[in-house]
Amino acid sequence: MTNLQTNDPIFDINEVLAQMLGTVKDTVTDNWEEVKSVANEFLNRRKERLELLAELTLTGDLPIEKLKSRLEDEKLVFEAELHAIAIISKAIAQKAANAALDVLYNAIKKIFEIKL
Amino acid sequence: MKTMLLQSRFKIQSLLILLALSLSFISCKVQLVAPYDDGMVQQIETTAKEIDRFYLIMLEVTAEEENGRAYAIFQEQYINFEVELNSLLTKNKVKPVNEHSARICEITLQLWRKYKAEHKEQDYLSDGEIKLNRKTFDDLFFAMLSAEKGKQIANNPPE
Repeated sequence: MTNLQTNDPIFDINEVLAQMLGTVKDTVTDNWEEVKSVANEFLNRRKERLELLAELTLTGDLPIEKLKSRLEDEKLVFEAELHAIAIISKAIAQKAANAALDVLYNAIKKIFEIKL
Repeated sequence: MKTMLLQSRFKIQSLLILLALSLSFISCKVQLVAPYDDGMVQQIETTAKEIDRFYLIMLEVTAEEENGRAYAIFQEQYINFEVELNSLLTKNKVKPVNEHSARICEITLQLWRKYKAEHKEQDYLSDGEIKLNRKTFDDLFFAMLSAEKGKQIANNPPE
């Protein structure tokens, strides 16, 4: 065990927190494109479905009562899409949180290596 | 004064050791989503492809007229796909922190049963309805796959 020196940097909590925050920010930024591209794809697909619904209604292939039923189904499809986005967002949050915890572990580990 | 400072540092060190030990004991990793499952992705892709084929064949090969699209012709396939969707739902439900994926499966199964019941009741499906059903399931499976593949982000180690 090395001797303790009064001027040794033991654990700079501010620096560790800043590093943790930086890691969270980087992880979220790096993966944000994934959420955006999936959300855009959902929007495009929604547009195509609504266009098809409008076309079939205008040509008389889809009676009004069936249109109403299909519009109710749209709510469920939208809910499914929101759940998918929630999973991707949570996965990013999980990765960011674990990366930040790794920063904390490494900072603590470093102290052991120096002091013990 | 110097002794007090040393004592205080010793206390901080002890606390850090305690914290580190606690963290290592509980292996403190945040888990917000279920782990990525390659088998699940394969099953979703296969089911999505087969349901797409089911509706395309119905649209292209069978005719609206003369009861060419009677429910009985497709009954067995409806049952097979419902079994497949049920299996996906069960697999999703038993996984921890997986309620979002389970709900997507529930919605897919709910609409599958609804459209099956409509076909059974009418004993035919128009071209327009087939196109709508095909598109709806294509989009639901896309949501399911996006969700499952999104879980890979959490599994990737921090850069």
